[in-house]
Amino acid sequence: MRVSGEGPATLFFAHGFGCDQNMWRLLAPAYAKRYRTVLFDLVGSGGSDLSAYDAQKYDSLHGYAEDVAELVREFSVGPAVFVAHSVSAMIGMLANLKDPEPFAAQVMVGPSPCYINDGDYVGGFTRKDIESLLETLESNYLGWSSNMAPAIMGAPEQPELSTELTNSFCRTDPEIAKQFARVTFLSDNRAQLPLLTTPTLIVQCNDDIIAPLSVGDYLARKLPRSTLRVIDNVGHCPHLSSPGPCAQATDEFLAAEGL
Amino acid sequence: MLPLGELTREAQALLDAAPCGLMRTAPDGTFLRVNRTFCGWVGYSEQELLHRRKFQDLLSVGGRIFHQTHWAPLLAMQGSISEVKLELLQRDGSTVPIVINAIVRHDPERVHELAAYVARDRDKYERELIQSRKRLEELVTETRRLHDEAKDRASFAEQMIGIVSHDLRNPISTIQTAAAMLSRGMAPASSERMVARIARASQRADRLIADLLDFTQARLGAGVTVRPEPIDLHALVADAVEELALAHPGRRLEHVHRGSGECRADASRLEQLVGNLVSNAISYGQVDAAVTVSSTIDADSFGITVHNFGAPIPAEALPTLFEPMTRGTHALGAKRSVGLGLFIVCQVAKAHRGKTEVSSSAEAGTLFSASFPRTR
Repeated sequence: MRVSGEGPATLFFAHGFGCDQNMWRLLAPAYAKRYRTVLFDLVGSGGSDLSAYDAQKYDSLHGYAEDVAELVREFSVGPAVFVAHSVSAMIGMLANLKDPEPFAAQVMVGPSPCYINDGDYVGGFTRKDIESLLETLESNYLGWSSNMAPAIMGAPEQPELSTELTNSFCRTDPEIAKQFARVTFLSDNRAQLPLLTTPTLIVQCNDDIIAPLSVGDYLARKLPRSTLRVIDNVGHCPHLSSPGPCAQATDEFLAAEGL
Repeated sequence: MLPLGELTREAQALLDAAPCGLMRTAPDGTFLRVNRTFCGWVGYSEQELLHRRKFQDLLSVGGRIFHQTHWAPLLAMQGSISEVKLELLQRDGSTVPIVINAIVRHDPERVHELAAYVARDRDKYERELIQSRKRLEELVTETRRLHDEAKDRASFAEQMIGIVSHDLRNPISTIQTAAAMLSRGMAPASSERMVARIARASQRADRLIADLLDFTQARLGAGVTVRPEPIDLHALVADAVEELALAHPGRRLEHVHRGSGECRADASRLEQLVGNLVSNAISYGQVDAAVTVSSTIDADSFGITVHNFGAPIPAEALPTLFEPMTRGTHALGAKRSVGLGLFIVCQVAKAHRGKTEVSSSAEAGTLFSASFPRTR
C-alpha cells in the first residue's frame, strides 16, 4: 500500500482484474499534489500478502468489499473518494453499502454490474465466453510461476527487486487468477445499484468490449446519484491509454461535488 | 525503418513470406501493416485487414478479455510483452493457437509491432500437461484421503482395543475373585452364589466378544448376519428380560406387551438387541426407577422399546448415538460398557430391514426403540 500527498480529501485508487496498483501510474501522481492518495493491491493481486488469500472469503466480491470497507475506514483523512477500475468499482459499491459513512464520492472507471447477458440486459458476454477466458488464463503464465517465489516466501524488504521482474504488474498465482476471474465475470450486482446514495461518476469508454456503452447507460439509469461521462478511448484501461480525459472528467466531478 | 513504399522488393518479399506473422498496429489495435503469412493464417486479405480491423477482433472472446485485462496494460506499462499465447479466429470460424511477442515503437507516432507464430504442438503439449497435472492433483487428493482414512482406522482400532480390554477386565476380575474364594473353600450356599457370579461374568465377557466380532464384520461392510425364522415375540422378550433381571439383582425390570401375530426374526439377535439396550438403560438409568421393556405387534410392523428414567442424553449426542464408540457424556460414560452396544443394536435392526430411534428428555426419560417390518 502506498500513501502519499495531503489535501482536503483522501482518494483511494483500486485496480481491476488483471494487474495491480501500477495501473494508476499515469493518473494518481497528479492527485497526490492536491489530495491524500492511497494506492493498494487487492488481496491475491500484485504485491499483496498471498498468505492472506482465503479461497472461501474471496469466493465472492463481498470478501474484497470487507477489506475495502476496513481500509477506507482506517486510512481516510477527511471525506473518502473511491476511484476504482473495472471490478473494483462494484467492490467499492459493496464496501460503501456495508459502511457508507466515510464515502463522499465514487469514481467508477469502466464499471459493469454484470458481465453476462441476461434477458434484455446486455453485459457483453456469455458463460461460455468466461470459460474461454479461464482457458486462456490457464495457458498464459506470463512468468507467474517463477515470479511467485519471492511473494510466497515473503521478501517485503526488497519490493523493488520483484517489481523489476518482467510482467510483474500482472503477477498473480494462477489458481488465484482463475478464481478471481470467475468471481469477477460471474458477479451480478445489479440489485444493489439503487441502494448507492453516494454521488458517483461513471467513466465510460466509447469502445470497450469489457464494459460496453450499454452497460454505462444501464448504470447511469440505476445509480441514484450518477454522472455519466463517455470518453473517447478504445479498450478497457483509459487510465493508461487516455489519462488526460480521465483526469478531466474526474476533476470536473470532484469540483462539482465540492471536493 | 523505411516507409512501406521504399522497401526494396527483396525486403518486401522477405517480410511477406517470413515463417511468422508480422504486424504493425495503431495503439488501439487497428492493423497498419500485415504480412502475407499472417493473412494466410486468418483467411483475410491485406485489404480486408488494413485500417478496417483490429488485432483483438481476431481473437477468441477469452483472448479478447485477456488482451484487455493483461496484454494492453502490460504493453502500455513495460513497452513490450512476450510469449503470450492466444487463440486466433480464422475466417471460417476455426481457431489456431498462436504465440505473440509485441513491442511499442515510436515511428514517430506510437505503434505496436507484433510477431506471431503458430503453436499447435505447444498447445497440444500444454493441454496434455494441464491434463496430467489435473490427474496428478486428483491422485494426490485420493492418496491423502486414503492416508487419512488409514490413520483414522488405526487410531479407531487403538481406541477400541483400549475400551474392549478395559471393559473385559471387569468380568474377568469378578471371575478371578470368585475363583480365589472358591479355592479357599466355603459353605455350599456361598459357593453356589460364587458359581452364579462366575457364570454371569463369563456371559458378560462372552457378549462383549460377540459384539466385537459383529462389529468387525459390520465394519468390513458385510453387516451382521441374521437367520429370520417365525418367533413368538412376546415370549422371547419375556425370557430375555427374566434372564437380564437375574444378572442385575437389585434393579427393577418390567416387561409389557401389546398386540399379537406371527413375526419373523433371528431369535438370538433379538435377544442380543434387548440385552444391549437393557444394559445401556441400567448403566445410565435412575437406580431406583424401573427399566421398562415393551414388545408390540401392529398390522405392518413389530417393535421393541426400552425405557428408563434418569438424566437425559444431551441433544447434541443424539444424532451420532448409534455410531460405534459413541459414549454419552464422559461423566456418565465411566459406567458404560463397550461403546459398541448401540451400534450393534442398529446393525441388527438394519439386518432385519428395521430401524432404530431414540428420544430423551428429563421429564419423559430415555426411550430407545427398534421397529421391524412384518413380512407376510
